[in-house]
Amino acid sequence: MNAGRDEAAPKAAAAAWAPAPFEGPVRHIYVHVPFCRARCDYCDFASEAVGAGGRAGAEVARRLDAYVDGVVAEWERERAAHDVRRLHTLYLGGGTPSLLGPERLERLLELFRPHLTPHAEVTVETNPEDVDESYAAWAAAAAPGPAPGVRRGVRVSLGVQSFSAALRAVLGRTARADPVEAFGRLRAAGVASLGLDLIHGIPGQTPELLGADIATVLDLRPDRVSWYELDVIEGTALAARLAAAGGDPSAMPADPMDDVRAAGYRRIVRGLSRAGYDWYEVSNFALPGRKARHNVAVWRARPYLGLGPAAVSTVGATRRTNAAGTAAWAAALAAGEAPPRVEEALDAATRARERLFLAARCGERVPLAEVAAVIDQTAARTFAQAGLVSLHSGTIRVTRKGRHVADQLCVRLFRDQRLRE
Amino acid sequence: MTPLDHIRNFSIIAHIDHGKSTLADRILERTGTVAARDMKEQLLDKMELERERGITIKSQAVRISYTAADGQTYQLNLIDTPGHVDFTYEVSRSLAACEGAVLLVDATQGVEAQTVANAYLAIDNDLEIIPVLNKIDLPASNVPEAELELHELTGATHDEILAVSAKTGEGVDDVLEAVVTRTPPPTGDPAAPPRALIFDSEYDQYRGVIAYVRVVDGRFSRRQLVRLMSTGQDAEIEELGFFHPSMTPADHLETGEVGYIITGVKDVAQVRVGDTITDKKRPAGEALPGYKVVQPMVFTGLFPTEGDKFEELRDALEKLKLNDAALLYEPESSVALGFGFRCGFLGLLHMDIVRERLEREYGLELITTMPSVEYHAYRTNGEMTVVRNPSQMPDATHIERIEEPYVSASILVPSEFVGTIMELCQGRRADFVDMKYLSPERVEMHYKLPLAEIVLDFFDQLKTRTRGYASLDYDYSGYRASDLVKLDILLAGEPVDALSLIIPREKAHLRGKALVTKLRQKIPRQLFEVPVQAAIGNKVVARETVKAVRKDVTAKCYGGDISRKRKLLEKQKEGKKRMKQLGVVEVPQEAFLAVLELEPGDKDR
Repeated sequence: MNAGRDEAAPKAAAAAWAPAPFEGPVRHIYVHVPFCRARCDYCDFASEAVGAGGRAGAEVARRLDAYVDGVVAEWERERAAHDVRRLHTLYLGGGTPSLLGPERLERLLELFRPHLTPHAEVTVETNPEDVDESYAAWAAAAAPGPAPGVRRGVRVSLGVQSFSAALRAVLGRTARADPVEAFGRLRAAGVASLGLDLIHGIPGQTPELLGADIATVLDLRPDRVSWYELDVIEGTALAARLAAAGGDPSAMPADPMDDVRAAGYRRIVRGLSRAGYDWYEVSNFALPGRKARHNVAVWRARPYLGLGPAAVSTVGATRRTNAAGTAAWAAALAAGEAPPRVEEALDAATRARERLFLAARCGERVPLAEVAAVIDQTAARTFAQAGLVSLHSGTIRVTRKGRHVADQLCVRLFRDQRLRE
Repeated sequence: MTPLDHIRNFSIIAHIDHGKSTLADRILERTGTVAARDMKEQLLDKMELERERGITIKSQAVRISYTAADGQTYQLNLIDTPGHVDFTYEVSRSLAACEGAVLLVDATQGVEAQTVANAYLAIDNDLEIIPVLNKIDLPASNVPEAELELHELTGATHDEILAVSAKTGEGVDDVLEAVVTRTPPPTGDPAAPPRALIFDSEYDQYRGVIAYVRVVDGRFSRRQLVRLMSTGQDAEIEELGFFHPSMTPADHLETGEVGYIITGVKDVAQVRVGDTITDKKRPAGEALPGYKVVQPMVFTGLFPTEGDKFEELRDALEKLKLNDAALLYEPESSVALGFGFRCGFLGLLHMDIVRERLEREYGLELITTMPSVEYHAYRTNGEMTVVRNPSQMPDATHIERIEEPYVSASILVPSEFVGTIMELCQGRRADFVDMKYLSPERVEMHYKLPLAEIVLDFFDQLKTRTRGYASLDYDYSGYRASDLVKLDILLAGEPVDALSLIIPREKAHLRGKALVTKLRQKIPRQLFEVPVQAAIGNKVVARETVKAVRKDVTAKCYGGDISRKRKLLEKQKEGKKRMKQLGVVEVPQEAFLAVLELEPGDKDR
């Protein structure tokens, strides 16, 4: 078992070394896998439904292969363009990365293995229906180990959403695979670091059903839990369905600001905290030493590169967002060109504001010197009195109490100035 | 030069909407004073606002040449006056410039409160009253009933009361004949030291103040050196003349004539309505009677909704003041509303007009605080403090008594509403004086009540409860002691200056409750609990709590979400610009407006 060292070393390093937001060499890679079996009703991420194989299987396989080729090409381009050092983290997100299957995933990992540090964290978002014996076996031994020739497992983040099949159906998740079974299979195979992705605030999710989900989570005791509140985004199938349901309040999710949802959220925070989980970000919980180092790096405003359609990179003063279309992305890279993308220049104040609100979500202490130019000191003192922030030896930290209202708090903490110049 | 006995000076007086301006239009038309092609409705009302609202704010005077049935040609001077109670003093000066008044009554409405008030003003000024019923062409007109009321009011007989339709022109010639035959010609001594009564003034940005005058004695000429008797200001007449209806320069203004005088004086405050102009070298011994400086009676704070518009507001008030000697303004700063002005007005209409002109002509968006009156707070040490803004009220422990202005109100209603009026007045601290029947269907009731009640909502209530049938007129009748308190509104323990008010003690509790409830509803949840309290001194009389936001944080924020998320927060920050920061509490401007514009019904119930 080596997962215990998951984050200890980099944490110490990050605390000692705090350069300007997003400055420094790149040590974090995100790969966006833009495919799903079927699109979930609530999701607005860049993803293409590729079905379950079958009749169109050959065509799908060709697209998936073309995608992997694209990642290879983009990685080479980006590596040449930036100061990329040995990687601390690699994160395969989506979409549904597990849908690529062990063979293609292995091809992707081969690409990065030479660049990973011995303790690098490798994460693969996984859907329960993809977890068969071979997948579990691959996951348990895919990442490089601390010594040459030694392998260890990748971190698996299992997309559960809810343990209630009925609530999953509300979200448009119709796959019949049992998440508890998938979890057991991964653990049995020896995957050392397992996380669960869940959603609360689902229409029809009564306090009892939420309680059942919390109980199941505590029972399974994963290393990490990401528990998001459902956000009904305009343009999604769920939004359309809810709009069509119209006046029926039982079919509607509660208002996000509503006390009912706030109560559900508080219950999750309380339940997981009592069970020994560290609430290390608004929606993220981990057993001691098991935080997602990749996400923590992003929230600390470390530079990161994103590969794949719709992926976002932030390095120094530039944020680049690839266009969402997989075909155009793959075609450009196959032709030896940069994929279509948009760039955003981030000035110092903007980056300072990002640093502040990201830290606020994690309850991380930030030296005031880093954010002095964008922060309203009077407001900060007021909120310190109200126990929403803590001011200490030239640093500012948003307290656990403040984290519940971090958005509003940041809006108030931002100095009143022309934000866009 | 017109001999004195061929001059007739008259005005038309009426309740609002009884057809005064239409009758004036018709007279100008029929006497050929205005060519048909130049004719437009409400010709004498020059201001956009006057035309739009169908009211007269500024007096006008027009010289009409009329050849009467006797074959003689007369010089008629028609002085158009404002009709509203706010401008009673201006009306009284205009009437003082006349010998006759056409008292116009809408035959569909009958005598109204301002009909009565104006009739008394005319009688006070010894004017010959020519009662005229208007709108007889309308099927709803009730000539016999209206005639009875007019008879009751003026003592005029059936033969003396004329019936016209200003709209169709029917009977208008009879009015002109009556003006010539019944109005006495001006008396005055052409040889005496010259005296002219200023009955209105107007500011012209190129020429300075234009004084509207009636020459009482002697004559005035161009280049003459004159003196304003109350202020002692000397000046030279640059131009004089009469209105026909546009300004027509002349060499002289003779005894009995009405016209205008322009001196180089730039300040309307130096050329006050009611003052007397005389010759500098051969001054009159005595000024004309009736001069007084009008005092503003209603006060309110005007604040720009955007803080950076303060300078613009000041410039706009300065310009309005040029033409409006009665307008008062002094800078005021409020924690809640920023920088603005405490303004004094003659009454609610005056306030409304000024505010509307500021918004319309100067493009300003304004927050108006609750209108208030001028209180006199007597301290235990005998000193008196003038309180035009609740914040000026001395500490309650130092106050011996507080006095507030009272008015004598006269209310005219159909007799069926007598009970309604009594009920309303009882709830408004009004003391009944007397009542009399103008006709079996029409009653005139007299009350003494605090001006503050009128300023609050008395008129609205009167109109609502009588379905618009009641009319009101009032006159200031001095100060009286009342049991008043200052009610403060506190947010998170801090008083919000803009929301303090002075009210009768017995109403403080209910009003405080209504205010804090409304505020609690209008203030969005804050990041922590905020008590909203109403207090008299240190004693809290009502309390509500603005709850804390329980959750306000988006669930997801990964590498791809940062920009979108940041922009969302920045946008929210921009949105906060409409919020007022009061200590630790953030209050949307709408909350202030909601409280300041608290529906009358909400106030006391």
